[in-house]
Amino acid sequence: MSVGGGAGGAPSALDPKKLRIYGLAGSVVGIYLGAILNSALDTTLFSFIGAVAAIFAVLMGANAVRRVCAYGIGTGVPSIGMLALGMGIVAVMFGLSIAEALGSWLLGPIIILVYAGVFGYIIGVIANKVIKFNIPVMEEGNADLSMAGALALLGWSFAISGTLGYVDIVNDVLMTGYIAIIFIAGGLAILHPFNANLGPDEKQDRTLVNAVMVSGLAMVATGIAAILTQGLAAGLLQLVIGFAIWFYFFKRYYQLVKRDAAAVVGTGLLPPTVQ
Amino acid sequence: MTGFDINTIVYILEIIVGGLLVGIGVHFVPVGGAPAAMAQATGIGTGTVQLAAGSGLTGLLAAGLMMSVTDNLWLILASGAVGAGIMIGSTMLTGSWIYAYAVGAPFASAKVNYDPITGFSQPPYVAQGTVGQGIPTICFVSGLIGGMMGGLGGAMIYYPLFLINGNAALSAMFAIGIFLVNAVLASWNIQGTIEGFHDPKFKKWPFAFRACAVASVLLALAAVLITGGA
Repeated sequence: MSVGGGAGGAPSALDPKKLRIYGLAGSVVGIYLGAILNSALDTTLFSFIGAVAAIFAVLMGANAVRRVCAYGIGTGVPSIGMLALGMGIVAVMFGLSIAEALGSWLLGPIIILVYAGVFGYIIGVIANKVIKFNIPVMEEGNADLSMAGALALLGWSFAISGTLGYVDIVNDVLMTGYIAIIFIAGGLAILHPFNANLGPDEKQDRTLVNAVMVSGLAMVATGIAAILTQGLAAGLLQLVIGFAIWFYFFKRYYQLVKRDAAAVVGTGLLPPTVQ
Repeated sequence: MTGFDINTIVYILEIIVGGLLVGIGVHFVPVGGAPAAMAQATGIGTGTVQLAAGSGLTGLLAAGLMMSVTDNLWLILASGAVGAGIMIGSTMLTGSWIYAYAVGAPFASAKVNYDPITGFSQPPYVAQGTVGQGIPTICFVSGLIGGMMGGLGGAMIYYPLFLINGNAALSAMFAIGIFLVNAVLASWNIQGTIEGFHDPKFKKWPFAFRACAVASVLLALAAVLITGGA
């Protein structure tokens, strides 16, 4: 049985290294861009950029899930998604708090990225050396997942609160309970694509398009939360963009499903029971 | 950022012990996964992480509720353990009703010949082609112990976090993060399904102990550095 994800020779048009660079650069630049535009122009209209930035992180995470889980981890794909979000939430809180203590919110994403990367790599080493998984891509896969989980949570938190300040995020995202929504929405966006598409005919583009689609849904959820925290204009803008992303990628996903399926037939209504 | 004193070391130790309790507790829970959902294996028909997270989060809620009326450590820990125990117990009980009355499967373990608690013979009741069905007494007892350990661990992580940053929502989310990392590492160690402490796979727990210890140290060091914000 050689279903080896990207590393094992399964077809993947996008190289994981390239995807990692796109994911990291896209999400970090996006979060900074949104935060700087918001604070420089004294508005919250650009909060939606945070949710768009999260999509890049989700793509990186979904590809890492795809690579690691193709080896079979024995406990189901959801476990690795929950691990990614568990590592991510710790990294986000730690990074934002330390940045606040150091007196500059600009340092936040960098500290988060470093902590998440190092912690994820160590978890990967533990999984291979102590628990004896012996999956060759476990270390870098877990580092990717940890960074992806952290950056996605940070992007969505920013989309809801409109700033990167620790106190604002604690008040707008944690105390209000919206963190629970983005936690599960983020988990779905990272773990669901491979869980839904796995099998011998799994294709990278179909899995990743599914990831973008679910991220669009998450953006609709953050949009609704943003209406309540930042006002109608900023929230509605986010909601509409999120819906557009979901709609476009849902159509594309359906096209890819039709491309890869042996046949797509309508079942019609349930037939009458034959005794 | 709080100053580093003897209390900080105590907090770090509490979080590490909490993480280890979660990691070991997962091994006690009879996880059946998809085969159990089809009554072809012993245990509860879902994955390790879902069960551990379910019981752990109930434990967190119970501990948080107790913490709002008292700051006695023992009462808070007991509340967390009992809350998680009730959650996993009611899950197993209602699951058993479905196995007994809807699926109609006799409860039998395929890992032991005689139930260590009731002494009943098991092999005659294991259907051909399956690895046991339902939740036999030994699995139920083991699951209760596991759930209570998970709740105890969750409460033990939540308590120092709340003392450090004084923010309930932040402590709860951070505790969930620590909880999930330990639960997933433990479930990777089990690799699929387990019946409880009588299962041969249970002997693998030292690996999870070491893995969770390393992870918990790193998480605890981050946890004591964060502040409560507002």
